[in-house]
Amino acid sequence: MQESLATPAPSAPSRSFISIQDPSSTTDQVLSSGPQLSKPSVPPPVKSRGPNSGAGAHRLRRIIAEDAEWSLAIVPLLTELCIQNIVKNFPNNPILTQLLPEHQQKVLNDLSPDLPLAVTANLIHDESYWRRCCMHRWPVCHVDSHGGSWKCMFFERHLENLLKHFIPGTTDPAVILDLLPLCRNYVHRLRVDQFLPPVHLPPTPRSEDQSDSGSEGETEEPTRDHYQLNDLVAGLSQLEELDLVYRVKDCGMNFEWNLFLFTYRDCHSLAATIKACHTLKIFRLTRSKVDDDKARILIRSLLDHPALEELDLSHNLIGDRGVRAAAKLLSHSRLRVLNLANNQVRAPGAQSLAHALAHNTSLLSLNLRLNCIEDEGGQALAHALQTNKCLTTLHLGGNELSEPTATLLSLVLSVNTTLTSINLSCNHIGLDGGKQLLEGMSDNRTLLEFDLRLSEVAQESEYLIGQALCANRETARQRGLNASHFMSPLTAQGPENPSR
Amino acid sequence: MNPPGSLGDLEELEGEHLSASILRPSVHSDNPQERIQARRLRIAARLEARRREALGDYLDGKKESEEDQSKSYKQKEESRLKLAKLLLCGTELVTNIQVAADIRETRRRVEEEEIKRQRLEKLENEVKTSQDKFDEISAKWEEGKQKIIPQELWEMLNTQQVHCAGLIEDKNKLINELQQELKTKDDQYVKDLKKQSDNICLLLDRMEEQVKNVMKTFRQELHHIEKAFEVERQELLTSNKKKWERALQAHNTKELEYLMNRIKKVEDYEKQLNKQRIWDCEEYSLIKIKLEQDVQVLEQQLQQMKATYLLNQEKLEYNYQVLKKRDEESTVIKSQQKRKINRLHDILNNLRSKYAKQVKQFQEENQSLTSDYKHLVMQFKEVQKAMRHFALADDEKFQEIWLMNEEEVKDLIKRGFDVDRIIHTHHLGLPWTAPDFWFLKNVGPLSQQQQKSASQILEELLMQTEEEGAEETASDPASYLDLPKQISAKTTRKILMLLCDESGFLIESKLLSLLLPLEKSECYLLRLDAIFSALGIESEDDLYKLVNFFLKYRAHHHSPSSQERMSLTPALEPAEQPDFEGREEESLVEREPEEKEAPASPRLIHPNAVLKILEAFVMGLKKPRDSRPPVKLRKEVRDNSKDSEYWQALATVIPPATQNLWDALYTALEKYHLILTQRAKLLVENNALEQQNTELQLLLKQYLASKINSELQVPPTEVLRIPVKSKQT
Repeated sequence: MQESLATPAPSAPSRSFISIQDPSSTTDQVLSSGPQLSKPSVPPPVKSRGPNSGAGAHRLRRIIAEDAEWSLAIVPLLTELCIQNIVKNFPNNPILTQLLPEHQQKVLNDLSPDLPLAVTANLIHDESYWRRCCMHRWPVCHVDSHGGSWKCMFFERHLENLLKHFIPGTTDPAVILDLLPLCRNYVHRLRVDQFLPPVHLPPTPRSEDQSDSGSEGETEEPTRDHYQLNDLVAGLSQLEELDLVYRVKDCGMNFEWNLFLFTYRDCHSLAATIKACHTLKIFRLTRSKVDDDKARILIRSLLDHPALEELDLSHNLIGDRGVRAAAKLLSHSRLRVLNLANNQVRAPGAQSLAHALAHNTSLLSLNLRLNCIEDEGGQALAHALQTNKCLTTLHLGGNELSEPTATLLSLVLSVNTTLTSINLSCNHIGLDGGKQLLEGMSDNRTLLEFDLRLSEVAQESEYLIGQALCANRETARQRGLNASHFMSPLTAQGPENPSR
Repeated sequence: MNPPGSLGDLEELEGEHLSASILRPSVHSDNPQERIQARRLRIAARLEARRREALGDYLDGKKESEEDQSKSYKQKEESRLKLAKLLLCGTELVTNIQVAADIRETRRRVEEEEIKRQRLEKLENEVKTSQDKFDEISAKWEEGKQKIIPQELWEMLNTQQVHCAGLIEDKNKLINELQQELKTKDDQYVKDLKKQSDNICLLLDRMEEQVKNVMKTFRQELHHIEKAFEVERQELLTSNKKKWERALQAHNTKELEYLMNRIKKVEDYEKQLNKQRIWDCEEYSLIKIKLEQDVQVLEQQLQQMKATYLLNQEKLEYNYQVLKKRDEESTVIKSQQKRKINRLHDILNNLRSKYAKQVKQFQEENQSLTSDYKHLVMQFKEVQKAMRHFALADDEKFQEIWLMNEEEVKDLIKRGFDVDRIIHTHHLGLPWTAPDFWFLKNVGPLSQQQQKSASQILEELLMQTEEEGAEETASDPASYLDLPKQISAKTTRKILMLLCDESGFLIESKLLSLLLPLEKSECYLLRLDAIFSALGIESEDDLYKLVNFFLKYRAHHHSPSSQERMSLTPALEPAEQPDFEGREEESLVEREPEEKEAPASPRLIHPNAVLKILEAFVMGLKKPRDSRPPVKLRKEVRDNSKDSEYWQALATVIPPATQNLWDALYTALEKYHLILTQRAKLLVENNALEQQNTELQLLLKQYLASKINSELQVPPTEVLRIPVKSKQT
């Protein structure tokens, strides 16, 4: 305690007399300051003398006589002053860990959110401080999407911001790399939804168009590569999620196709990056014009990845060859979620996926929305589902499927006990297909969601399928209740503790 | 892109979605409250339907139980279902936009593909036609080069220009078309963008609305649930309070009752107690009087008992004294007896030791004696062995000596006989016959003829009969004569063959299998051998007894008159009556010719009867065997009674008459000898004279032949010639 007080003394010479005068009394005071603040009647006269000793004892007494309103609470405590001082000098002399917990809390409450990160990053772990920082910087904060940690959120969003506005060739890469030692332990996920291409100062008179965006160039230079993530990702030891979109936002009238170019060099470097990152669990690369060759390059680097669980390549240009590579990945990894929505997958690709799926035991969710696998691919997938015992979610919306697939799927429904959600919306199932699906549903007790909207199914069968789903949902709820009854002491306490 | 279509889709979708509910218009109304209400109603209706369907049969049973369950639970369930429904419907409503966009997109893609295909086709066609045109134009250039007249050339150039312009125009048209298309597409793109932003706005609206609705309904449901809980609590409280009051009242009344009862009972008991007390007092006094009387009587009895006690004490003291004395006496006697016992013990021990010593001594003696005895036995055995050895040696030596002597004697006899024969033949001119004596043929020491074993006889017999066939002559009786029986060999053989055939059961099966490869005769022999060993026939006699038995049996058959008698007697004791047998033999001898006449006679013995005969025979044979002395001394004492006779006979082999003859001959021969010797002398003299004569003749010749004679006037030769010549003639 004495050391903690002694250390600020030299930094604030103007207040040094306090500690010189009566260290014993001040220590007492500091020790009992917390509780005594609430009951002002208790303070002994010795204490009152402490802060005002510079003014003189008789003067103190005089004040009491004159001012009935006076109370000790108004007088700032030494600890308060110290804390204020610490806060004021925090960037130069950060003192936090040596303080008592309650004082630490006070210091943290008073610290400004604008402090340089180099000081605060590895020193402050308090969530409330980082919460303030976040709230100060961004109006909307979803801490849930960052693992519930404000500090993580702060660093992740900070880094994302930097990356978003990084212009290769113009911005100094040290800006990002300097941050690396500060944030390496707190960045778990990176969601970058734009990568700016290098700026080439345009000699053309178009320059006035560029003024509002100011960040993107549009000349036909051979090098359109974006920021290379190698060094950054290699430095982030905790990185689990990587969500990238190679595009430019808000380009307005400066639009050019070149802005949305995911080059081969980008692709190769990204492949090397994700291959080297062994902690990566989720990898998303959406809306980036990834074609077959690029997809193959990426997926090849992901083969036998130790941790990867989710792969999202939706809204790209992947065709059958890329999907075949993805199918191979299914058998060479522990992938749990595969999202290939809005690509150019056709029947052969779906067949190769089905082949891999037939004996896969890890994949839980498969999304093939807005492709064109047609009946051939749909039938192959349905055959695969007859042997698969793992997949729970399947999205086949907008795939030009029709009655044959529905027939096979109805068979799958009566056999499979793992599927909980199927989406067949926006297909041409037809009236008969709907009836067959209804038959299949009548034997199924596990399916909870079955989307048949806009698939030309009769309303009656859709309604009846809905009823069956309701019943299934009810039984699933009952099952869950029963299960939780059996393990009630654990589960009952589990959710309560974090809430308090 | 087809914005109107997409809008229609969306509406259609919503219509479809909402058509499930009956209160469709109200859902679409602008007032959110009303919409919520409508949805709630719809949800309730669905819920009801679902519940009816799900519960089905259990409905009745469950209804009661549900009624039992608290209102709050029901409320909770209801709200839960309602909220789930709301959430589901809300999400559906929100995602409807996405789904609509999806289908729009898919449709657009399909259309786009179609248009793209058409466009490509169109372009290809265009390329083809323009190429044709171009070819035409370029062909015309060639044509133009040949033109010389400037007008024509100019005309042609003009036409070429027109053609080119047409081609370019076509191209331009196409380009314009495409640009037009691009423009429309651009417009459409802008429209689509707008549409999408509209959609997003709608989505946002719906989401917001959904959130609001959900929050509101959640709050409402929470409120409902709370209310329900409160109501339930209140109800519970009131009901419990009522119950409590009722219970209290009941308790009070009951307590009062108990109190009254208790007071009554107390009074009753007091009365009873009083009664009991009085009664007890009376009884007590009565008993007291009675007991006092008893006490008096008992005291009297006590006095009496005391008197008798004293008396008894006196008596017992006296007895005690007496017993003490006796005890002393008995102790004295006891000590004496003890001493005696000790003494006797000593004696007994002495005797025991002595006995043990003696036993030891005798055992030692016994041991030495037994060892002696063993020793002696060994010695005796050795002696016996030696004796046997010597006996054997003696026998051998005796035999050798006998043989030697016999040889010597035989030699002598032979010489004698030779001499005799020479004398008879040469000197007397009589025919000489060699004497024939039995002993001459004897070789070796005299002994009883050894009995042949049955098998040997069999062998002989069989061999003989075989030879017989070859010889054809009647069986040689001489060879068979050493057997005393007169039964023909043939008959015997036949009988034996029969026996052999019929009694195969006596032979061991192993032997039979061994016999198979052998010759017939050998086979018979071995089989018979086996049968005989089984029947116990050992010697020649037994065999002949058997054969005789068979013959007898047959005889009885032939003479049925005597059959019974005969069949009985041999069955009883066939071997014990030699006389009878003798007679039988005689009769058999007589019958022999008959047998020969009928060679098939043995066949008359029926094969079936063979067994009976054998049985009878064996029964008979057993008895003499049993009576025979069990162990014969192997070594018989040699019968030497005939030896001297034998030797005597050998000595007197040449009879005395012959000897006399020899004497007379001897004298005559001596005389003859004398004469012969004289003649020999004379012959010698004669020879000598002759020799002298020859010598002298030689000398004379010599003289006559000499030269001197010739020289002489008168040769002497002439003188002498005449004599010499005469002499020579």
